[in-house]
Amino acid sequence: MSESIFVKDLNVWFDKNHALKDVNITIPKNEITAIIGPSGCGKSTFIRCINRMNDLVTKCKVTGEVKVDGQDIYDKDVDVVEVRKNIGMVFQKPNPFPKSIFENIAYAPRIHGKDEDKSLRGTKVSKYSKKELSDLVERSLRRAALWGEVKDRMEKSAYELSGGQQQRLCIARALAVDPQVILFDEPCSALDPIATAKIEDLLVDLKKDYTVVIVTHNMQQAARVADKTAFFYLGELIEFSETKKIFESPGEKLTEQYITGRMG
Amino acid sequence: MRRRTKERLFFLLFRGCALVVALALLIIVGNIVLLGIGTISWEFLTQFPKRNFTDGGIFPAIVGTLYLMTLVMLIAVPIGVFTAVYISEYQGKSRFANWLRVAVNNLAGVPSIVYGLLGLGMLVLFFGWGFSLIASAVTLAFLVLPLVITASREAIQAVPSSLREASLALGTTKWQTIRHHVLPYSLPGILTGVILSLSRAAGETAPILLTGVVLTKSILPQDIWDTFMAMPFQLYALATQTVFEKTQDFQYGTALVLLVMVVLMNLVAIIIRNKYREKYKW
Repeated sequence: MSESIFVKDLNVWFDKNHALKDVNITIPKNEITAIIGPSGCGKSTFIRCINRMNDLVTKCKVTGEVKVDGQDIYDKDVDVVEVRKNIGMVFQKPNPFPKSIFENIAYAPRIHGKDEDKSLRGTKVSKYSKKELSDLVERSLRRAALWGEVKDRMEKSAYELSGGQQQRLCIARALAVDPQVILFDEPCSALDPIATAKIEDLLVDLKKDYTVVIVTHNMQQAARVADKTAFFYLGELIEFSETKKIFESPGEKLTEQYITGRMG
Repeated sequence: MRRRTKERLFFLLFRGCALVVALALLIIVGNIVLLGIGTISWEFLTQFPKRNFTDGGIFPAIVGTLYLMTLVMLIAVPIGVFTAVYISEYQGKSRFANWLRVAVNNLAGVPSIVYGLLGLGMLVLFFGWGFSLIASAVTLAFLVLPLVITASREAIQAVPSSLREASLALGTTKWQTIRHHVLPYSLPGILTGVILSLSRAAGETAPILLTGVVLTKSILPQDIWDTFMAMPFQLYALATQTVFEKTQDFQYGTALVLLVMVVLMNLVAIIIRNKYREKYKW
């Protein structure tokens, strides 16, 4: 097992509210790591530290270290745009752009251009040809298990899709940028059970190529898909280990209380 | 029973008030249309006025108003929209932005004659631009800026933040997010606001009265430093400085053309809004 995300002494404040306290965690590559915990425990805050989405919040202060593939993403020399290119994110509510299905996927690759050489990320880029772009769109949609459902209506608005399809479109959109890590912030909370099952299958499939971190308030979901599970409570990481262990023989009293439903 | 009587009474009161408004509008518009329609002809729209506004047409006033509106739009729209972007996207919570918001809201309440005096004192005299189309356009641009900024800000803030996050999470820069998402999605709202502001500016008299408009001029304005004729001022001058019976037709005709122009602008605004409301739904 090699590490993908390494977090050391992470603290987050929103103005005077100390939202995350001394979080230390190492998230493995090509596995699914679930983040669980009651509302307001800092799950979303944590995941939003990994692609620096918290930068958008005013009066948010982050200290500590977050390393993705060995690089501290909070380093002063780091370009936040590059960080987010490397770390995709799928949100709670499906949020496709009010554009066509094709445009939703093609937008980011068109902006970023084609990397000629991975080691020169961002330094040597050229534009995608029309063919390459439509291939990339197809590949991304196939990878998100959506191609068959939309291939005949690529020019239709993304808002004509169902909620579950929209969410898979958002996943395909993130995949098109070719990230190494994908963050899911409660991706199924707005979906019905069938759509949820499809997303979960997809998650398990995606971990072959990506590191997946998923925030969920659905414990069964964590138990079903995650290899490792982290339990957060009041801004602290209480326990982090194999999912099986968390659910069958938790090491902490708080964890046990939460997963048995006596708290939260 | 008493409760129901009371209910009825209030219902009648509200309906009465609404009726007064509708009636006032009907009387004004009806009056102008009935008395002005007879004057409208091809000659009236395409000729210069003759014999002290008793013959000929209002062509130079129409052209003057159109020139003026174009200039106002060119000045006010970029400044207004970019200011709105700055306030809502870049500096939402800063002290400067707060101060700017208060300033904009207060500017919207300043009487138009004050803008006129500002234009006269600063642009015409101090800057030495003289009585000119550009001085009037800049003055009117000042006047509509708060409206453009407020409308643009509302349109921009109506774009859900989830779409901004979606874009930023893909590794786009802030400016790319604004240019490719925020501005296009808020464009219908911005356009509507712009057109409504312009239709307001089209009817203003006081600001141009002090900065560049003239009652008669034998040629169209040659450049932006030239004086110009305009419909609202022509109306004002004819109504206050001529014998009513002699210029009556001209006054009603001018009022009708101005009214139609403003209504048309508002109509375009509504059409744009409805068309794009369908296109960008989230």
